[in-house]
Amino acid sequence: MRIGFFGPLRDSLGDEREIAAEEGETVAGLRIRLAGLDPDARDLLGPQVRACVGDRIVGEDFRLDGQERVEFLPPLSGG
Amino acid sequence: MAVRLAAEPFAAERELAEFMQGRDGDGAVVSFVGLARGRGPDGEPVERLRLDHHPRLTLRSLDEIAAAALARFAISSLRIVHRFGAIAPGEAIVFVAAAAEHRRAAFEAADYMMDRLKTEAVFWKREERSTGSHWIEPRDEDHGARRRWDEAPCPE
Repeated sequence: MRIGFFGPLRDSLGDEREIAAEEGETVAGLRIRLAGLDPDARDLLGPQVRACVGDRIVGEDFRLDGQERVEFLPPLSGG
Repeated sequence: MAVRLAAEPFAAERELAEFMQGRDGDGAVVSFVGLARGRGPDGEPVERLRLDHHPRLTLRSLDEIAAAALARFAISSLRIVHRFGAIAPGEAIVFVAAAAEHRRAAFEAADYMMDRLKTEAVFWKREERSTGSHWIEPRDEDHGARRRWDEAPCPE
């Protein structure tokens, strides 16, 4: 599955990563898995980093089917 | 187009000229242009600003702010143009304009759109200097300005 990063997260994690999908994984589970794979991804564990699938901000219990691109959005700077 | 993202520099004066056309039903147009500053809050030179944006959510956030302004104020139309990418000092980052029958609504709508854009538009902003770069968060002042619009007294 593809995972995209924005803003300051791009500096530490890059624009996009691809990892193997795990059936029935939630957004919360994905954050923990990513943080285990890469110490820089611990930034994703903070509640201020929101997850987006398609055009929607999704909650921690949202179940991923592995086909979608999950995007992590850090706090906004504004325009 | 009422709301637009711009990857390249744009001429704010041309935006205003276009927006002014055919306004015979309006009595007022208020516009604002935000520019990239050549110096940071510490007075040191800034080489450029870089605005990271989201391919869908950024435009949607601008659309929502525009729709809220149209619903809230007695304005007939508005325009928002917002840059993304690398922006040099002196270039326009944002242009907003509002047209109305009477000036107060146009002033307030422009002010409201800017306060919301500064805190809620989906951008991540980085200041780049010869000595390095850092990401910028909205200032408390920006959040305070945004809250003003929540604290307005109920209309009688």
